[in-house]
Amino acid sequence: MAETIISLRGIKKHFSTKKGTVEALKGIDLDIKKGEIFGIIGLSGAGKSTLVRCINLLERPEEGQVVVNGTDLMKLSNEGLRQNRRSIGMIFQQFHLLMQRTALENVCFPLEIAKVPQAEARKRAEELLALVGLSDRLESYPSQLSGGQKQRVAIARALATSPQVLLCDEATSALDPNTTKEVLNLLKDINRNLGITVVIITHEMRVIQEICNRVAVLDGGVIAEVDTVEKVFRAPKSKMGRQLVFHESDENREALQGPIENSYRITFEGDMTNSPILGNMMLECQAAANILAANTRMIEGKVYGQMIIQLPEDAAKREQMLQYLKNMGLTVEEVAYV
Amino acid sequence: MFELVLQGFWESLYMTLISTVAAYLIGLPLGLILVATDADGVSPCKPVHTSLGIFINILRSIPFLLLMITVRPITKFTMGTTIGSPATIVPLVIAAAPFIARLVESSLKEVDRGVVEAAQSMGATPREIMLKVLFPEAKPSLLVGSAIAVTTILGYSASAGIVGGGGLGAIAINYGYYRNQTEYMLPMVAILVLMVQVFQEMGMRAVRIVDKRQ
Ligand SMILES: Nc1ncnc2c1ncn2[C@@H]1O[C@H](COP(=O)(O)OP(=O)(O)OP(=O)(O)O)[C@@H](O)[C@H]1O
Ligand SMILES: [Mg+2]
Repeated sequence: MAETIISLRGIKKHFSTKKGTVEALKGIDLDIKKGEIFGIIGLSGAGKSTLVRCINLLERPEEGQVVVNGTDLMKLSNEGLRQNRRSIGMIFQQFHLLMQRTALENVCFPLEIAKVPQAEARKRAEELLALVGLSDRLESYPSQLSGGQKQRVAIARALATSPQVLLCDEATSALDPNTTKEVLNLLKDINRNLGITVVIITHEMRVIQEICNRVAVLDGGVIAEVDTVEKVFRAPKSKMGRQLVFHESDENREALQGPIENSYRITFEGDMTNSPILGNMMLECQAAANILAANTRMIEGKVYGQMIIQLPEDAAKREQMLQYLKNMGLTVEEVAYV
Repeated sequence: MFELVLQGFWESLYMTLISTVAAYLIGLPLGLILVATDADGVSPCKPVHTSLGIFINILRSIPFLLLMITVRPITKFTMGTTIGSPATIVPLVIAAAPFIARLVESSLKEVDRGVVEAAQSMGATPREIMLKVLFPEAKPSLLVGSAIAVTTILGYSASAGIVGGGGLGAIAINYGYYRNQTEYMLPMVAILVLMVQVFQEMGMRAVRIVDKRQ
């Protein structure tokens, strides 16, 4: 197992506003491994931005420990923290480029801060802009660039000081689907070719699906679950995970009166979704099953899905049907709700 | 008459320009300090922010003519006299500096907070953020502010004519008002109007050249 590069322990953060206190993070423990692309997903207000900002202490937690690359950031002096921040790049939803500087000058900015000689900085900035595919836009100002190009400049700028970690706070949320894909591919390349650990915050499942290795589901300031993307997509364990993966909505659940009985979640894997398993089961067992919910999706080229079905009250028939499904190699678990 | 007008024009011009430059030398750092020490600034410091704010408000609340009379001892001490154009520069600077501090403050505050955060995430020091982020990013807005400042100072300098100042305002008042020679009044006012137009237009052109956002 790869070594841990970011380790968060017991992170708590609240904000005091006029309307009262908001507990944005209620004790977060998280380990992110070197070289992985780690996703953090959650609904708006879940605390995603606050969490990622705790990693470079743009937001200082009241409690807890932030260790990046073996250094306990909370224990550093201001100057020590500034030095360490150079090894943690960050990009933002709104790009946050210097509007009065050209693309090239923007990428030179962190190098100026790091006191890199001008000629050397310029050379490095040119290389980085070539890396992100903007060699022909060195002298353009941000206002002359598209959203995707601006994010590329921001990525080049974040990479200037050769960071070990790249934090991305909703980096693609302001972009259209095609541009999103391009930027995600660029991040993937950067991760693979430069070995930079990438932490991605998003509220969009497809972003996680597209490039992440592991994902943490954040719900109301706590981590609901952390696992590989595949596992979370196949069988989300938390309520929030299910909501995000299967778009289960609360309204659906409320529409069903009382607890539901004899209901099971069937999880499909790979090509199985294409075969008429349920139809065959009903034919063979001579009993009807009620489909309460169904959802399938593509992950890494394979079809995954889940279906929630209600089986007959007759215990013998039910057993027979469950046995049939199990024989087909499906995961079946009883559920009390859809 | 022509000579008088020309003399008045030059006096007004140099009074205004020198006062503006001097007032910026004081007001600009004060504006920077106001922004830096604010609660969401790069080095928050409430006592400094609050006391500087109150000091600036007090100076700004004194009407210019009263201020001019009040600071006469300072004027006398620094310039050796309290009448004429050079002497007017002292109260002009004292009146304009706090005004400029507020203009600078509002310009710097327009800079997107996110850009500052991005710089912080790269390890920029508060000083670097002020000098390399806030200041250059606010340049167009600062220029707009300077056009406002210079025209306001020109206006102050003209009213200074009432209490012994020089320039176009003094001529207009001395000849046009006290001697009731209105033919002196109109050209002076016309030139003042023209100067305001020119300063304002120059400022706006400079903004258009400097601003890279469009
Ligand atoms: N500076 C702040 N002052 C007060 N409250 C804040 C501040 N920053 C965040 N919060 C609150 O903390 C909670 C978490 O906010 P956060 O921005 O981390 O959410 P998020 O998951 O990033 O949401 P989004 O997807 O909308 O960006 C929210 O309730 C928010 O209102
Ligand atoms: Mg956010």
